[in-house]
Amino acid sequence: MIRRTQGSEAQLTTRRDFVRAGGALFVSLAAPLGEAAQIVATATTPDPTLLASWLEIRHDNTILLRTGRTETGTGMSAFYAQTLAEELRVRPEVITLIMGDTDRTPDGGYSAGFLIGAANVRKVGAYTYQALLSLAAEQLQVPASSITITAGVAAGGGKSLSYGQLLEGRHLDLKIPVTGKPTGMDASFGWGVGGLMGYSVTGNPPVKPVSEYTVVGTSFPMPGIPDKVTGRTAWSCDVPVPGLEGNLLHARMIRPPTVGSTLITAGTVDKKRFPTARVIAKGNLVAVVSPDEWEAVTAARAFASSTKWTAWSGLPGSEQLTTTLRARDWGTPSTRGDATAVIAALAQAERTVSASFEQPYVRHAPIGPYVAVADVRRDGTVTVWTHSSQSQGLRAQIANTLSVPREKVVIRWLDHAGQYGRTTHSGDGAEGDAVILSQLTGQPVRVQWMLPEDMAWSTASPGWIADIKGGLDAQGRITAVESAFRSPHMMDARLLGAILGRMPTTTTKSGNWNAIEWPYDRIKTRFEAAYGMPNLAGEAAHGGLRGNIMRTPGHRQQNFVLESMINEAAALAGADPIQFRREHTTEPRLLELLDATAQAAGWEARPSPRPGAGKTGNAPLIGRGAGIIFRDNAYWVGIAEVEVTPATGVVRATRFTIGADVGKVINPRHLDRCMKSGAVMGLSEALKEEVTFDRERVTSTDWNRYKILTMQEMPELRVVQISRDDKGFGTGGEASNAVAPSAVVAAFFDATGIFPRRIPLTPNYVKALLNG
Amino acid sequence: MKTKFALTVNGAKQRVTAEPGTPLLYVLRNALKLTGPRFGCGLAQCGACAVLVDGKEVRSCVVPVDSMVGKKVVTIEGLPEVWAQQKGIAPNSQTLHPVQQAWIDEQTPKCGYCQSGMMIAAVDLLSKNPNPTVAEIKDAFTNTPPSPHLCRCGTYAAIIDAVQRAAKVMNSTGGPA
Repeated sequence: MIRRTQGSEAQLTTRRDFVRAGGALFVSLAAPLGEAAQIVATATTPDPTLLASWLEIRHDNTILLRTGRTETGTGMSAFYAQTLAEELRVRPEVITLIMGDTDRTPDGGYSAGFLIGAANVRKVGAYTYQALLSLAAEQLQVPASSITITAGVAAGGGKSLSYGQLLEGRHLDLKIPVTGKPTGMDASFGWGVGGLMGYSVTGNPPVKPVSEYTVVGTSFPMPGIPDKVTGRTAWSCDVPVPGLEGNLLHARMIRPPTVGSTLITAGTVDKKRFPTARVIAKGNLVAVVSPDEWEAVTAARAFASSTKWTAWSGLPGSEQLTTTLRARDWGTPSTRGDATAVIAALAQAERTVSASFEQPYVRHAPIGPYVAVADVRRDGTVTVWTHSSQSQGLRAQIANTLSVPREKVVIRWLDHAGQYGRTTHSGDGAEGDAVILSQLTGQPVRVQWMLPEDMAWSTASPGWIADIKGGLDAQGRITAVESAFRSPHMMDARLLGAILGRMPTTTTKSGNWNAIEWPYDRIKTRFEAAYGMPNLAGEAAHGGLRGNIMRTPGHRQQNFVLESMINEAAALAGADPIQFRREHTTEPRLLELLDATAQAAGWEARPSPRPGAGKTGNAPLIGRGAGIIFRDNAYWVGIAEVEVTPATGVVRATRFTIGADVGKVINPRHLDRCMKSGAVMGLSEALKEEVTFDRERVTSTDWNRYKILTMQEMPELRVVQISRDDKGFGTGGEASNAVAPSAVVAAFFDATGIFPRRIPLTPNYVKALLNG
Repeated sequence: MKTKFALTVNGAKQRVTAEPGTPLLYVLRNALKLTGPRFGCGLAQCGACAVLVDGKEVRSCVVPVDSMVGKKVVTIEGLPEVWAQQKGIAPNSQTLHPVQQAWIDEQTPKCGYCQSGMMIAAVDLLSKNPNPTVAEIKDAFTNTPPSPHLCRCGTYAAIIDAVQRAAKVMNSTGGPA
């Protein structure tokens, strides 16, 4: 791996500035420990304006940090501890986290919104540090300016006190300034729930300069890993509370046989074979419950065959998907840019590149299907154990579906399989099923979806079509870009249980958005249009094929189109694809990353396709290609090397080099892990993934039919990291999946001279492409 | 009809009552509270439920409990004891199996859901091949029946690093018997 460090931070607020401007914050700095310091265990969310809601500094010098955001698997639980440790001048090992519980965390927000969450933690830490410094000055009887704090011990005037000693018999009665409002149902958002961002801490406390960081920038381990490898982690698929168990029902859902079938008659359970199983039905929501999980599974299987549903057939079939999308009248798009200027520039272009791209539905496909446990009590209180990526949003949804006040609902978050965006909008999942069944039975209910059920009924990332046109001048520079992206929407946050049970749930809007963060400052003339539509077959009883965002949403798809056009334009200009990109940006970060990644890949400058490219034969043809993305203050470069065997249509990635400049690298090893694993997910999408369906139902309902990359198919991976002290934090997890597809199709083009305008590059598609 | 079975799990004799056809996974998780093995597909297609049966990897989501009588079942909770026995040392809570320790040292898990099965596959592989190459690790995790071990987060490179680290440690301390 290659690592570089660059830059230094701009001027920061000093303690003197801060005390002058906001010293009033410290008036009630230390007060005797009393009732006010306790977080009372109720369904109410802790007040985000109280420091005690965010963190507790205990007398044994350990620290408890609470955040409504959760660990997605990218290492955020380490990064939050690192960020706080810097500001408080403590070791990160003394910090433990509570994440995602709505009754024990103050701020809400979605898990992937780490940059907002980290900014909150940084500021809370900075406010607290200033308070601790003042307290230490008072107790050590020296000016704050002569105190040094290291590893949680304040020293000055020849004496020292640990934080635990400083706070003995007291607590910090500190107000934290925040903006934001409680999460709730809100139809003005595309998915019907407000509060995605949670609360943001405001003000400008003196933060520690990045150049003085000692913990951020080191590979602090992810705190949950030891428990995960020894079997001690409490997962959301486990029965969460020992006391619940005696009364718990296991449920298996009986889903309609087609996307649009409605229930005619529910079957019966053979009491001789399944003595403790019973059927629960509400609307089209049908389940078999039993205190014995395996009995629930087997009874549900037997029961399903005796249950009658209406016939339905209204999907186009996945073979016809993109043809169907192309035939549609799409209405008015969201647009960005100057259409008139683009038309004029394209008219004057020496040459143009014009291409249409497409991709079928793909899905998040976690290894663990949806699971949730719910306990709905007769007094109206509701507790849900879940792995949702947006606990406060889910709380609002559950309250809405059950028509109970939000204050009655507690969401407890637990680890589970990665979600990759499918619960970010606070919906989907087994939680709807679980609360409805618990309400109907009066018992706690655990709902475990089965894999074929998850692969058929969870939301998916919709298929899409796109057209793009680029104009080149006489020097082979791109002067203008026009693009149109068309896709069913990605905002269906409805709870499936609520849809099927005909209970209240969110509304959704069918629009799409222009997601690209523009990386090419030398291409100034552009016009983008994004068209949306309701779910495919959305008129069907249960909402059709439900669309949702997936890792690097919208941006992943639209950037693939842009980068593919850039690669085609480079070929038209007879230019090396890396050099061609260099000529279209002046951004030093991108230029440096392009060079560093190309160097790590052993890139030799030349245009594509390679000399000797071909499209026939049994021998593998080799090729290489590049793609970039800019997202959330992070630049990414991917360079793919592939082998294409024309006779079989098999495309194999042999090496993938991934470079990232994410601003200040928080944790080099976890960034390395995120870069490599994200590359695997992106290669999987480029080479293998496709949701198939016939006219009635999804047919890619297991791992033999929804194929993802295996270990053997993983190429050699090379990583380049550039860390900068002067650019803040960027997103280091999400976009790593998004550079692979454009690099892979460019490498295919390099090998064969044929540019694929569709992913995945499956053998059948490749053979047709090479023979066509 | 529910029947009583005597099982040996992680070195301890256990009595459970279950339908004979109940997959081992449900017995481990619900009756014995061993939540290391996890439900992924229920179809022996992903590997999240893998356990060792008489030292070999088995997919517990499809093997019925009645076929486990007289066999030794090990989940990740039991790996430290497997290693202690192998090394002839007294089991203690501090010493993990080198495979588990390598998974920590290499920071292998992302979401971690599949990793219990990955570690079981690693222990099985290292018992047969104490010093596997990258190609051999890839082959074992992909082509060993009944299915590839799948990781949706894409941690395959981290798994390879951890298997090789574990191999080094196990070889340097004498290796498996």
